[in-house]
Amino acid sequence: MRRLLAMLMLVVLVVSMLAACGGSGNNSTDGNKQAVANFDVPEGGYDGSAVEITFYHTMGQNLRDVLDFYITEFNKLYPNIKIVSEQVGGYDDVREQISTEIPAGNQPNIAYCYPDHVALYNLAGAVTTLDNLIASKVEVTRADGSKEIVGLTDEQKADFIEGYYNEGKQFGDDLMYTLPLSKSTEVLYYNKTFFDANGLTVPTTWDELEKVCEQIKKIDAESIPLGYDSEANWFITMCEQSKSPYTSAKEDHYLFNNDTNKAFVKKFNDWYNKGYLTTQTLYGAYTSGLFTAQEGIKSYMSIGSSAGATHQRPDKVDGNYPFEVGIATIPQLSADNKKVISQGPSLCIFQKSNPQEVMASWLFVKFLTTNVDFQAEFGMASGYVPVLKSVGQNEVYAEYLKSADGGDYVSALAAKVCLDQQDAYYTSPAFNGSSTARDQVGALMSKCLVLTSDIDKQIDNAFQDAIDECEYNG
Amino acid sequence: MVDSKQQWKAWLYLSPAIAILLVFTVWPIFNTVRMSLLEGYSGLKAAAGMTFEFGLGNFQKVIEYRRFLQCLQNTALLCVLTVPVSTLLALLIAVALNSIKPLQKILQTIFFLPYVTNSIAIGMVFAAMFNIVGSFYGTENEIIVTAGIINNVIEFFGGKPVNWINYGSTYVANITVMVVYIVWNALPFKILVLLGGLQSINKQYYDAAKVDGTPRRRVFARITVPLLSPMLAYVIITGFIGGFKEYTSIVGIFGEQMGPPDDAGRLNTMVGFIYDALSTNSQGRASAAALILFGIILAVTLFNNNVIKKHTHY
Amino acid sequence: MDKRVMKAKNMQQASLRSRTGKLTVQFFTYLFLIVMALIVLFPFYWMIISSLKTLEEYRLNVPTFWPKRIMFSNYAEAFTTANLGDLFVNTMIVGVSSTLLSLIITVLSAFAFARLEFKGRDTLFTLLLATMMIPGELFTITNYTTVTQLNWMNTYTVLVVPFLVSVFYIFLLRQNFLQIPNELYLAAKVDGTSDIKYLWKVMVPLALPTLISITILKMMGAWNSYMWPRLVANDEAHRLITNGLRNAFTTTSGDVNYPVQMAAVALVSAPLFLVFIFLRKYIMAGVSRSGIKG
Repeated sequence: MRRLLAMLMLVVLVVSMLAACGGSGNNSTDGNKQAVANFDVPEGGYDGSAVEITFYHTMGQNLRDVLDFYITEFNKLYPNIKIVSEQVGGYDDVREQISTEIPAGNQPNIAYCYPDHVALYNLAGAVTTLDNLIASKVEVTRADGSKEIVGLTDEQKADFIEGYYNEGKQFGDDLMYTLPLSKSTEVLYYNKTFFDANGLTVPTTWDELEKVCEQIKKIDAESIPLGYDSEANWFITMCEQSKSPYTSAKEDHYLFNNDTNKAFVKKFNDWYNKGYLTTQTLYGAYTSGLFTAQEGIKSYMSIGSSAGATHQRPDKVDGNYPFEVGIATIPQLSADNKKVISQGPSLCIFQKSNPQEVMASWLFVKFLTTNVDFQAEFGMASGYVPVLKSVGQNEVYAEYLKSADGGDYVSALAAKVCLDQQDAYYTSPAFNGSSTARDQVGALMSKCLVLTSDIDKQIDNAFQDAIDECEYNG
Repeated sequence: MVDSKQQWKAWLYLSPAIAILLVFTVWPIFNTVRMSLLEGYSGLKAAAGMTFEFGLGNFQKVIEYRRFLQCLQNTALLCVLTVPVSTLLALLIAVALNSIKPLQKILQTIFFLPYVTNSIAIGMVFAAMFNIVGSFYGTENEIIVTAGIINNVIEFFGGKPVNWINYGSTYVANITVMVVYIVWNALPFKILVLLGGLQSINKQYYDAAKVDGTPRRRVFARITVPLLSPMLAYVIITGFIGGFKEYTSIVGIFGEQMGPPDDAGRLNTMVGFIYDALSTNSQGRASAAALILFGIILAVTLFNNNVIKKHTHY
Repeated sequence: MDKRVMKAKNMQQASLRSRTGKLTVQFFTYLFLIVMALIVLFPFYWMIISSLKTLEEYRLNVPTFWPKRIMFSNYAEAFTTANLGDLFVNTMIVGVSSTLLSLIITVLSAFAFARLEFKGRDTLFTLLLATMMIPGELFTITNYTTVTQLNWMNTYTVLVVPFLVSVFYIFLLRQNFLQIPNELYLAAKVDGTSDIKYLWKVMVPLALPTLISITILKMMGAWNSYMWPRLVANDEAHRLITNGLRNAFTTTSGDVNYPVQMAAVALVSAPLFLVFIFLRKYIMAGVSRSGIKG
């Protein structure tokens, strides 16, 4: 008892002590920043001084080999910029690491990032805006005597796939924070052999998909015609396709609780109950496993990441693939508002007290994102899609795309489909809490798909719960 | 009576421990308290020069969370269920291991093996054990590709398969899986500690009991358990503290959703809540939740300590 | 019937019963142990078979209990992909030095708490226990700032020092020390034996099983630590085994190549396992021969 009392005393002491210090720092200021670019290109641009640039990423060994080669290439132009590349772990590891490092001022110079990471770092205003860098006309001299304009030329800007490039300025203040490095999207994988044999047409709209599912069910009653990997992507993409609000980076972030969205959720619930589809969490295993299955229950369509194409290919039996994989754009609501999600890493540059470090970082980021050869090679090694339209000019990549088929070169086929639909990419607004919204709509979707009774009311509740959770965490 | 030589000697011996604890434990705790009392504190916002109001807002926010009671309930339930079961099982195994002669070495070695098994492997097994792969449970379209190892065993003995962790599963089934998982995870450590303890019990006590012809059960109750009581106390207290911090095990089975697909967050715990808050850099709220948890654990530990003190024999 | 005969007969029966009883007890003891051993062993088994599967087989919807095609090449790949040698050496340096220092600090503190009388002892001890109850994740941010200010980034120091003191271990060892009769200490003091000598000659041998348990836990800690090392010493020269393994086997599409990762885990676990087998002998032999107390 006496000890308990001692503890309590201690707590009281601490509280009162802190009350004392807390009182002085009471004049809280608003954290909202003015929408002004936070970095100005210094006179003369990069002055050639020796700097060390740390680059956090998630690349495995095979990608690091590609990266290392291009670091060497970069150093031929800028020998004084030393690039230290560090694989930190997965994307979440990178985010956690950097958000711990920022308060201590130890953040790297460049990092792999997703939009919500940048929103988090920006709580501390730690990410450099790229606007002035992109616009800069300052010339810098490279080691080989040639000149380079610091900013992006109009051709360079136009060469980026628009949807990817625009991801850099979806933070609600119209400023540019990231450049895309390599991207992936969702594509529709289908069993081409089965589709051809049964005279099925590949669905381009959701209505057609429903019909195809119905037909497949007639051919193979045991099957689940469609497997969808990610419920969250599905929900967000449906919002985009139906031009219905999902989230906003400005005030009042969470806008997805509306009738349009409830309507499509209800429609998919109906499809689910008819046995047309399943998702990864509902199925309890990778839906690609269902798609590639040789016996038992199968699916004949699978919507998943374009970077995972090899997982959607069945194992060889006696040296041959049991069926040919076809890849198409995911179904749409209408042909004139095509929308497919854009995922995959971008690069952001962190603020540093030495502007030369920022300049050097920018030159490297620009080198990686605008170098067609790097983009081509990195794309082939990673299964991700290059971010430049002109990547076809790279001979090896053009050859790679030509080899595309539904078997050995299924990754190339996926890349081809991705490049063909380059006008359809969208990205969602990013803010601190946007990943919570993503998690919540994913959970909402799987919860609603399996409803069997009292559906309207339950859907209403699920939407409200998701909003509540978002607003609590936001 | 406290002699002064012992005084300074004691502090001398304790000085390395205290020095390190002051820097790496006590200071962070003070900082935690500070953050919990600054409303809406976020380390990143603070780095941007933002200041925060002093107050109890963080605590209020934690308690207002719609699933706060659910988090508390899950935390408490997992503690209350897993600690006795794992302690008892570990005790039985340790005593059994200590009592046999042939195969003793091999079995002891086997019970050490889990230490060198990576946690990733453990997570993978559990996915295979309880997870049903299939769809449309409870409808006419029901499809089951594989029912999981546990259900295979149940069916082998003529029982009905249970939906453990997939959508449509019950809370009771979910908690059962968690209890099995946590107990399993905790066993090797407890066996190790208890076995170590058993080895330090003087053989003479047992020899005396043998001469007296005392029955096994009495030897167990009157000699083994009392002499092992410090180790048992240790295992129970650390078990409770570990139980209150349960989080990664739930993520291991249910994923970040902390629940079956149709009821995300159903199994969330206090530490899960803290992680959620940290993911949006809301350290103020995370700290407040941690201190609430700390208060609860402290109360339980003091209670435990008092109970154990009465029953522990030194 | 004569009462005596009856008694003799009863006794015979009783001894027979007790013998069969003993056999039954033995049977059930073994049965219990073997069943529990199988349960406990299952993840280990899973680790080994997973390490021998192809990635495709690992991803199958219906998991297989025995690899269809045994891939010993996973082990070769694990060895060549990750820099296992360096990772191993780093982990050993951190593991051994932190274990040794931690043991010294723990023994001294436990001794003070168990044997010495000083003002505020119980309060201090309770306070120490209380520190165990705060989730460590909250410490990370503050500790990160501290080690940055101390300029300890990317050193062995930062991997060893912050976690040298474990209240867990002090508590465990104190409980153990308390069991050793105080008379031994008083006698030693009368003889003029120094504390350190007494600790080394009497207390440490008596508490050997606990100390070995601590050693095992501490070594395992070095083997499994992930978050902190990644944060403060993720450079090539200081990287520890778990960090090295977690990151080395990411495939092109961003997935982890689990079979190869498992192979790597199995590889680095092997020496550890040998250490355990060696220590097991000590745990079992440590005290049974020392009949000092009682």
